[in-house]
Amino acid sequence: MMNRKKALIAKALFLLAFVIIWEIVAKRNVFGSNSQIVFPTIETIAKAFVRNFKVGYAGISLWKYILNSMELLLIGLFLGIFLAFVFSAISMINPTFYEIYNMLVSICDLLPGVALLPVVIIIFGIHRSVIVFLVIHSVIWPMSRNLLDGFHSFPQIYIEAGMNIGLRGKSLLTGVYLPATTAYILSGLKVGWARAWRGLLSAEMIFGIASSPGIGLFINQMRTNLNNAEVYATLIVIIIIGVIVQYGIIDTIEKHTIKKWGMSK
Amino acid sequence: MSKTILSVRNLNKVYQDDKSVILENVNLDVEEREFLTILGPSGCGKTTLLRCIAGFEDYTGTVTTDGKVTKDPDVDRFMVFQDFNQLFPWKTVKKNIQYPLRIQGLKDKDELERIANETIASVGLKGYENYYPYQLSGGMKQRVAIAKALALKSKIILMDEPFAALDAMTRTRLQKELLNISKKTDCTFMFVTHNIQEAIILGTRILVFGDGGKILVDEKNPLAKPVSPSSEGYGEFWDRLHSALYQSDN
Repeated sequence: MMNRKKALIAKALFLLAFVIIWEIVAKRNVFGSNSQIVFPTIETIAKAFVRNFKVGYAGISLWKYILNSMELLLIGLFLGIFLAFVFSAISMINPTFYEIYNMLVSICDLLPGVALLPVVIIIFGIHRSVIVFLVIHSVIWPMSRNLLDGFHSFPQIYIEAGMNIGLRGKSLLTGVYLPATTAYILSGLKVGWARAWRGLLSAEMIFGIASSPGIGLFINQMRTNLNNAEVYATLIVIIIIGVIVQYGIIDTIEKHTIKKWGMSK
Repeated sequence: MSKTILSVRNLNKVYQDDKSVILENVNLDVEEREFLTILGPSGCGKTTLLRCIAGFEDYTGTVTTDGKVTKDPDVDRFMVFQDFNQLFPWKTVKKNIQYPLRIQGLKDKDELERIANETIASVGLKGYENYYPYQLSGGMKQRVAIAKALALKSKIILMDEPFAALDAMTRTRLQKELLNISKKTDCTFMFVTHNIQEAIILGTRILVFGDGGKILVDEKNPLAKPVSPSSEGYGEFWDRLHSALYQSDN
């Protein structure tokens, strides 16, 4: 492996080269008369970035769209994770429940949330709860899969060591099962969050909810209006949010748990 | 006369899978503060006996600890496993020792601190309080496991070949330390091993198991502590245990 400094320089040089090539393509109108639409210059994208937040769309700043999306995402994530914990915990106590739930997780895990949209819209109508439902669907199955696998794969000696010091039932669950499966929980969180984030944007792009417009709706409106610089600028915002969650939140949790405990390199 | 701290009566253990009999009608009394070492060939059921006493296995018969019939795991019988993984990797050395005390209802912070520091010092790990298990060597992890038992003031410490996976030098050092610890505490020890020398060095009483947990030898250790291979009578005692052990193997 490269040392950190060298790797950092290589990455920075790559990004710089990318931006320069982009700028050359944009300035030279390589794609003919419509080239500016496909490849707006960096300055245009930068201006659009600022305009997204200052002016926004339909008189609403992009901030508001982001907040709306985040609100639904967080509600869904929280409920999905909570339900995954509850059902996985019951599975550990009741073998019949485990068999059925394990089957359900295997089936539903393969079902993309967006494919469920037609059914969900028929049930809920075009409403915020559709998005929340989709986020729950995105997170609950990978999270449950990881919890169920995790509960069965940590060294069983932890359980005996736990019982030896007087842990039983609920205290054994919180004192041994949960900390012992932290690596699995985090990996479930990563998959769950990534799926939820994609599912949320897809759903918002397929149908925007006027009462709660989100980032997906915003980017779709920009596309409809051929404001491609704004589309690129919004993509950058989406990437930034992803980076914050992945490196700012999930990696920080990892650093303070499984990495600190020597359970992950 | 010392009182009996542990008594095992008519203990039978049959494995569910293949109906094989592991322990057959085992009867055993252990006196308070005794250091009982158990020798036996592989598969004789010595580990299973410890696991039954600790409450990790189903069995028929009774185990009585300090006058109470005990069936489930509890802190009065503390198991030190051979596996180095027995510490919780998400807790530091100190937290690994304090956590069981908290579970037992000890909330006083100063008291928790005092007990942890005292037991950590007694197993020679001063300075390692805030280390995580992955930062410790195998021998150090086993010391922490012993410290847990000491902190909990378990009546009986069950040790299942705790030093078997250690190198010879660390093993000798830990034997010496365990001997010192055992002299200072009121705990009773049951120590399973394959190693005759280890059994003689540590034990005040030595058992040799044959198949099915049949007790072939049950003797007080005639040698005065500390025992070394140059102690008078060592060779003779070693030979006796050795021939019992290998006779049981045939």
